[in-house]
Amino acid sequence: MARRILYGVLRPLFWLWLLVSVIFLLTRLAAPTPTEQLGHPTTASVASPEKLRAAQWALRHRLGLDLPLFYYSVQPHPRYGSWIPSAQWHGSGNQYHQWLRQLAAGSLGNSYRDGRPVTTVLLDTVPNTLLLTLPAAIGTIGFSLWAGLCLTGRRWWQRWVLGLCVGLDAVPLFLVATTLVLVLANPDALNLFPAYGAPEALFETPGLWTRATHYMYYFFLPISSLLVVTVPGFILQLTAALNREVTMQYTITARAKGLSSEQVLRQHLLRNALLPFITLLTDLLPALLAGAVVVEVIFALPGMGRLLAEAAATRDHPILLGGVLLIAMARLLSYWLADGLYGWADPRLRSTSTPAHA
Amino acid sequence: MFGLWFRTALLLVLLASCQAPSPPTAQVRIRWARDPESLHPHTLANAMALQAVNLTYQSLLAVDAVHQRFVPLLADSLPAVRRNESASFFTYRIRSSATWDDGQPILASDVAFTLRAMRCPGLPNERMQAQYGFIQDIYISPKDARRFTLVCAPYAPDYVTLSGDFAILPEHLLDSGRILRRIPLARLDSAATRQPAVAAVIGRLAAAGLERSPGRYGSGPYRLVDWKPGQQLTLERKRAWWADPLQRTVPQLLARPQRISFQIIPDQTTALLALRRNEVDVYAGIPPADFARLQYSASDTARLGLYTPDSYEMIVAGYNTRKPTFSNALVRQAISHLINVPGILKGAVHNLGYASVGMISPHQLLFYNDSLQADTFDPAAATALLRRAGWRQTADGKWQNPAYAVSPLAFTISYRAGNAAYEFIALQLRTAAARIGITVQLQPVESSLLTQQLQTGNFDLYLRSIVGNPFAHNFIPLLHSRSTGEAGGNYTGFGSPATDRLLERLAAAEDTATKRTLLRHFQRIIQRERPLRVLYFTRNPIAITKRFTNLGLSSLSPGYEVTGFVEQPRP
Repeated sequence: MARRILYGVLRPLFWLWLLVSVIFLLTRLAAPTPTEQLGHPTTASVASPEKLRAAQWALRHRLGLDLPLFYYSVQPHPRYGSWIPSAQWHGSGNQYHQWLRQLAAGSLGNSYRDGRPVTTVLLDTVPNTLLLTLPAAIGTIGFSLWAGLCLTGRRWWQRWVLGLCVGLDAVPLFLVATTLVLVLANPDALNLFPAYGAPEALFETPGLWTRATHYMYYFFLPISSLLVVTVPGFILQLTAALNREVTMQYTITARAKGLSSEQVLRQHLLRNALLPFITLLTDLLPALLAGAVVVEVIFALPGMGRLLAEAAATRDHPILLGGVLLIAMARLLSYWLADGLYGWADPRLRSTSTPAHA
Repeated sequence: MFGLWFRTALLLVLLASCQAPSPPTAQVRIRWARDPESLHPHTLANAMALQAVNLTYQSLLAVDAVHQRFVPLLADSLPAVRRNESASFFTYRIRSSATWDDGQPILASDVAFTLRAMRCPGLPNERMQAQYGFIQDIYISPKDARRFTLVCAPYAPDYVTLSGDFAILPEHLLDSGRILRRIPLARLDSAATRQPAVAAVIGRLAAAGLERSPGRYGSGPYRLVDWKPGQQLTLERKRAWWADPLQRTVPQLLARPQRISFQIIPDQTTALLALRRNEVDVYAGIPPADFARLQYSASDTARLGLYTPDSYEMIVAGYNTRKPTFSNALVRQAISHLINVPGILKGAVHNLGYASVGMISPHQLLFYNDSLQADTFDPAAATALLRRAGWRQTADGKWQNPAYAVSPLAFTISYRAGNAAYEFIALQLRTAAARIGITVQLQPVESSLLTQQLQTGNFDLYLRSIVGNPFAHNFIPLLHSRSTGEAGGNYTGFGSPATDRLLERLAAAEDTATKRTLLRHFQRIIQRERPLRVLYFTRNPIAITKRFTNLGLSSLSPGYEVTGFVEQPRP
């Protein structure tokens, strides 16, 4: 048992380290220096090319990018050319080693852009993201469960609702969000909601009711956008699973015992139909933290999605790596959660050594 | 069924009760496309940061955008200039009434401290080190603590304005022990900073958090009251500011709005809706198509003032002259004849731009070379030029040149992905080139990656914008042969000893007549050699609610002067 737990913990940690290491090396190989900080050349610049080169070196030195990237580098052989590579050992004085040491000490480094610790930036951003994604996730689960249960056994309704769900599932998020803005926040159409943003001081607003209505006012459109694109997929999966379970022999047995349709549905069918639903459900956890970049951009919400997209665009490697690490950890957690939920939904899976999601 | 109706009714009641918090009065709300990222006056991360820093810090000189001239801000007058063979000297005096927020006077020692802080290794000041490296020393008058002389490199005209164009920091707050004073400016290198006392000061400067706390260390009229990264940034007028008594007499010290709130809205559609819903007051850099829509909307034009001031931003097509295909000026001229500028202006920017023969705006009448003919869209002329360059059309319509290994004639166009105007230009050029047998591939790339490709010379033809200004005509960073390579801005690889000399003379030209002659010559050479072709200068479409007047519209970014805004009384 102890070996199994150790294996279950160490193996995901190994993959986590590998993932973050690969991203570390790739991002720095693809974009060695965030030279945007030196500005673009203009007719007002009097800096000589030599001074600009010196500034670029100073920038690299300050950010620790003047060190070799890894423990060794491979270069063309000085005598035999590029056909015979020669490896050079750099020892521990390299960027990767410094970063690992920092990580072991619990630090993710500082942002290249404003020098703030990455952990502070992430801690500031995650609550903004959760304000958007958590209600959307709860809404998705609740609405899809309700719709799935309502649709089971209603053939006529199923045809139309599932058709609609297939259609909505194919619509990209940006289209849904833009349409909602143009319809519900437009002076030329329905001018009901704000076009952008979050309330300036939601948590300082006095009164729970006022706070709730402010929240609803600002977040109705962003959350609705997320619901419109995520709920159809959940409904389709759940309905398909429930429809399959309805034809099973144990359903007939349950009915023969005298249980009502409602009881059969809730007590027997639902639990057996939940496995594919749980897979989708646990995928939501990393998405909660990763944010929804499209919705955050369109509604000008400062969440994780935008933070990571901007960090990638401006070569802010520490922020990017910190964000990826956080999301990867959430993914890991979601796998463990999935294992637990699978075991709860189907006790036969508890004895298997391999996780059901693998 | 009753349950469904009940739940629907409950939802409607809840939605109906949703309400917006009422916005605070007496504030200007400005749309920003992105976060300023850092408010450090030595980093100046982007145009947004520059706007915020200009409201919270002060430099010796400021730009009078409307009249396009430099005016004294902290200094009491423009600098007195002296020069000799080996150095130039700029003498300033700080206004007698200028003080920090705690009442301490702003002195020459603060300027000296700022210059030293800009040189300290390990701080985010690399841009300043490169730009202000020409300032070699500072000499403070022993008789007047506000008077000082900057000792600079041998004279260049741009030094007159640049020597006073950096934000001043308070020495008494950031280096109360006066430690940095002990080290001469020129010796402030990594060796000097190994001294424990100096290292401690640098540590304190790094820990002061200038990236996020403008207002405490700036002498400007505004202080930061709130910054939610990626969402909004709010500045508030200081209640007691040293320049309050000068508001009526010194226009550059005017600061009227009590509160300026910058709303960060990345998406253009959302920003337009926010403007139309009266959620923002100022929106600059509106996409041309959206601006045209606003112009046709009666309800919007009744409430919004729509303006299109000129700008110094030019869209250029640059050729990689190191590539065999574009090493011949005749080929570069031929390709220029395939670009339909009037069509692009109409189709891509709704005529919110104007063509130019070169890198000088046609509205700078004194310097613009109006004797040059702008390239017309003429595929026949392009064909003739290609033939003159030794290219021959084969039976399949392609172009071959026995002199080059590359054949047939083909090239790629690199540009920033997601920019509608660049996409339009690239598609137009590809269509026109295909008609005469030239294969063109489009290569939209992410902005930073594009810069990297341009600096390493990994491109054929690029589309990009260059921002000029009316004060400086220094084209060395853009076209001098020394400016090629990984740190330079001469992506085209253009440059010969003769053109390098011309650019150096132009950068050193002082009197208007010489500058005019050299600039006209420069435009002629660029048109002949065509390392890059200026397609058009853009206009800056701005919408501002009509409740504000005295907008200070100008061709310099951001296009308006928010400090001068006057709010009309509401009816």
